[in-house]
Amino acid sequence: MTRLVRSELFKLRTTPGPWILLVIDMVACGLFLLIPFHQAGSLTGGGYAAPSTVQDLRDMLGVGYEAALFLAPIIGVLSVTGEYRHKVLTTTLLFSPRRADVLTAKAIASILWGLLLGLGSFVVVGAEGLSWFAADGGSFSSLAHQIVPVVPGVLGAFALLALFGVGIGVLVKNQVAGVLVTIGGTIIVEQLLVALFQNVFHMDLNWLPSEASAALVGGVFNGRATGAGRLLSWWAGGLALLAWGVVPGVLGYFTTFRRDVT
Amino acid sequence: MTTGATIEVRGLTKHFGSIQAVRGLDFTAHPGRVTGFLGPNGAGKTTALRMLLGLVYPTAGTATIDGRRYQDLHEPTRQVGAVLEATSFHPSRRARAHLKMLTLASGISERRIDEVLDLVGLRADANRKVGGYSLGMRQRLELAGALLGDPGALILDEPSNGLDPQGIAWLRAFLRHLAGEGRTVLVSSHLLAEMAQTVDDVVIVSQGVLREQGPLATLTARARPTMRVRTPEANRLVSVAAAAGFSPRQVAADVVMVDNASPEQLGPLLASHQIVLYELTQEGMNLEALFLQLTQSLGSSMGPSAPQAVVPPVPA
Repeated sequence: MTRLVRSELFKLRTTPGPWILLVIDMVACGLFLLIPFHQAGSLTGGGYAAPSTVQDLRDMLGVGYEAALFLAPIIGVLSVTGEYRHKVLTTTLLFSPRRADVLTAKAIASILWGLLLGLGSFVVVGAEGLSWFAADGGSFSSLAHQIVPVVPGVLGAFALLALFGVGIGVLVKNQVAGVLVTIGGTIIVEQLLVALFQNVFHMDLNWLPSEASAALVGGVFNGRATGAGRLLSWWAGGLALLAWGVVPGVLGYFTTFRRDVT
Repeated sequence: MTTGATIEVRGLTKHFGSIQAVRGLDFTAHPGRVTGFLGPNGAGKTTALRMLLGLVYPTAGTATIDGRRYQDLHEPTRQVGAVLEATSFHPSRRARAHLKMLTLASGISERRIDEVLDLVGLRADANRKVGGYSLGMRQRLELAGALLGDPGALILDEPSNGLDPQGIAWLRAFLRHLAGEGRTVLVSSHLLAEMAQTVDDVVIVSQGVLREQGPLATLTARARPTMRVRTPEANRLVSVAAAAGFSPRQVAADVVMVDNASPEQLGPLLASHQIVLYELTQEGMNLEALFLQLTQSLGSSMGPSAPQAVVPPVPA
């Protein structure tokens, strides 16, 4: 299995897609960092200021979460659908005929690349966020208190959302469709569904992927928008997100991935 | 190298919905020999080879390498190397990186990369992106990947498709060389003429059914040559040849075809009757005609071409 994971990681790093994702990830985090500083500034009469409320501090530390939502699934989608798009699945299966092993290796490699994207976000927080924070006289001790509720969750969200991408990739096989389903699903369809069910049926679909990951990351960017208390607890969110990763993957394995490769 | 592996196919059957792609196929490919797996397009060759490699699941029957299914082999790429059609490469990956990816997946030493690049003559282009490779270079790279594990058996599906004449000549010599080392080589083609110089044994399929199996020499013996004779005494020649037991056909005022005859038989016969000749030619070995006949005799959907059709030796 170690061999296969190394091979899958090698595949990712020898194609441009995953590196482009890392660059977009870091640029996006650099831009999203403006939000908590702007938010903090609006509390004190405009402009930018160092975040001080729990929500703003979490938004600053966990800025990567916003990037994870639309970038992490793509890595999983690329890892799986690239095999179909470039017709390399045949070669892959000749070198490792046990398909469950191949898919597991892809899942692990995608999770690891997801973690790399997560680390990328923290590099930006460290370099850009902390220097602004220091310059604006922010309180490092209150920021430090938010590390435990936010940082592991953000890394977990990157990892599990990458796994979600693997699952969707196996189910749909087509690269463009996979990207549209994951991004469109989490960012557009899911928000519409959540709003619809809340207003019409008074049901809370807080177990959908982006709501579940919001819970996992301690309500970053989400507590303010939808009101605290409606998200799942961090571990329930994590479990829901894990299910979003595993269930489509297992379904896809039994439906598409085990088919004849002609 | 591991010793040559015996490839055995028994009762292999595959249905795609209502289409019976392969029906009860039996054949064996032996070490040290090049076995040509021949049949027209759509005969089920690719499906059979993919079943042999665990990519397509058989509806019935078995396909084994030294008695084991491909997916049950402990180190499949060290025992079997495969070059298949419709496989490709990530266009932005370099050739060397493609091979490295394969060594990582299979645990084969990276030292083999340069060795196989030398074997297929791609060393100088190894650091180029595969997207810029010609079809012939891609085929060579595919072959390099198949040879990484120094396997005892090689399975190639239409490897000469898209190769230029030099490439085909190189491939022929290379396959002979690999079999000469004791490896089992199973190679499919829709052109017997192209394979006749390369293969020791033939397995001929048509519409998913085995039509013929055995040494090429046996087939060649059955395909007797046809003589083309140009003479001003066509009528006399026809009666002389017919009297000697041949079945001559006059095809033009001064041209007679004599089937199943050799120059050694016809020359002395015509000389003894003092028949004037302008020309005495052997019309190929007619192996291709026999091949067409074998693959067509199931009738129906095989297309209109007559058994005598001349098939060009190089694919378009």
